[in-house]
Amino acid sequence: MIVFDKVSFSYGKRQVLRDISFSIDARERMAILGGSGDGKTTILKLILGLLRPDSGKILIDGEDITDKSESALRKIRTKFSIVFQEGALFDSLNVKENVAFCLREYSRMSEEEIDQKVRELLRMVGLEEAMGLTPEELSGGMHRRVAIMRSLAAFDPKMLLYDEPTTGLDPVNADVICRLILDLARDEKGFIIVTHKVFDAMKVAQRFMFLRGGSIVLDGNKDQLIHSSVPEIQTYIRELNLNEVHTARS
Amino acid sequence: MKENGAVDTKIRELVNDLQDFYLLSLRALLGLGRKPFYLRDVIDQMDYAGAGSLVIVLFVSLFIGMALSLQLSAELSILGLKMYTGRIVGLSIIREIGPVLTGMVFAGRVGSGIASELGSMILGHQVDTLRVFGVDPIKKLVTPRVLSAIVMVPALTIIGDAISLFGGYFIAVFVSHQSATVYWSSVREVFTLENVLSGFIKPFIFGYIIACISCYMGLSTRGGAIGLRRTTTKAVVMSFIMIIIADFVLTRLLLYVLGFSV
Repeated sequence: MIVFDKVSFSYGKRQVLRDISFSIDARERMAILGGSGDGKTTILKLILGLLRPDSGKILIDGEDITDKSESALRKIRTKFSIVFQEGALFDSLNVKENVAFCLREYSRMSEEEIDQKVRELLRMVGLEEAMGLTPEELSGGMHRRVAIMRSLAAFDPKMLLYDEPTTGLDPVNADVICRLILDLARDEKGFIIVTHKVFDAMKVAQRFMFLRGGSIVLDGNKDQLIHSSVPEIQTYIRELNLNEVHTARS
Repeated sequence: MKENGAVDTKIRELVNDLQDFYLLSLRALLGLGRKPFYLRDVIDQMDYAGAGSLVIVLFVSLFIGMALSLQLSAELSILGLKMYTGRIVGLSIIREIGPVLTGMVFAGRVGSGIASELGSMILGHQVDTLRVFGVDPIKKLVTPRVLSAIVMVPALTIIGDAISLFGGYFIAVFVSHQSATVYWSSVREVFTLENVLSGFIKPFIFGYIIACISCYMGLSTRGGAIGLRRTTTKAVVMSFIMIIIADFVLTRLLLYVLGFSV
């Protein structure tokens, strides 16, 4: 579904991606790992056409999106849903209005039907009671859950994109989000999760890509990740071991 | 050679910025005639920009009117022309001070608010979310703010002018001991179509300039809290400068169009 062909990207003078190539099938469950500023979120933005690469091609379902206009990209974007870091809920709207945003924008549903659909979605994540709250009244975990439901409200995406969905959350809330990600992937929907929390990535993904200095230093399965000789990856794995010990103890 | 390269880059960046700014200003204006209209956003913005700025405009206008009247009364009484206080206060307020002052208050309060709000939305990925949802951020965020500024700056200017004239009256009558009838009849003399038109066209342009600059600055925010501080400050400073420049250009143009000889 997604093909990156020798894609490079820079923010001003700082090059974050260097000639990277990979492809992802719509049903895959992939985690992109790496340090801060290594281009993980940039990859998600490039997939959605929110950024344009300096060079190389990006194909979505065989269609080159590199030079597409903003209006042409809108159609491509409906194939995905994305949950940005910290949820990116609209501050001026309450929870219900956030989830109903796309329904109001695109569907011809009556206010009653919208209300029903929003309740249904929020019930799935245990937040029906929070409908009237504003984003600032929500905890980090609630934020992410509302954002996930909002991204699914109007469209039926082929693939879900998550940008650091568990960052800043306590282990219990992070686990709730991981289970939600797995639940939503049950009906053959693939996803890409961008994170630096390898412990959470291990819970949900089957394929792992590790970025360092703008290049892919590993693209493989769980075993390949765990047994990688790349020093940075070993540091991440050590964190993983500590987490597992901690989990076993608790 | 290296310095030349840096200058080239700076010039290229400036040209790109200007091009982006003009495009945004044009698209915001064109958005007024295209669906969807986001009526609720327009009303919210009008409430924030208009009702929210009213008290400040009233306060500032009242004291400017009083100060102006005080200065003129003192000067004109030396020349024995105190009866012209109302006329000069009225002319200054309607044609010049009212629109510029309201524009500056609006830029300070609403312009900075717009820049910081949109800047936060950029940093919090809310604008990216809109784009992913297929919503045009200019239509959704910029057009309502531009429309609200185009409506609210003139409305606030009219109210501010009235309060300034009242402030002038207060000083002229109760401090400078002039006749109220003389003051108001003197003010009434400057209420010609040319003067009123001249003072009424400027606020529309100022509102458009302030909203476009603030939205552009907000949407070009990069680099976290420091970036947000930079763009908010730039939005206000640029709005002030552009109001002053536009005021001069419009004054020259309106004097010419309305047939005043300079």
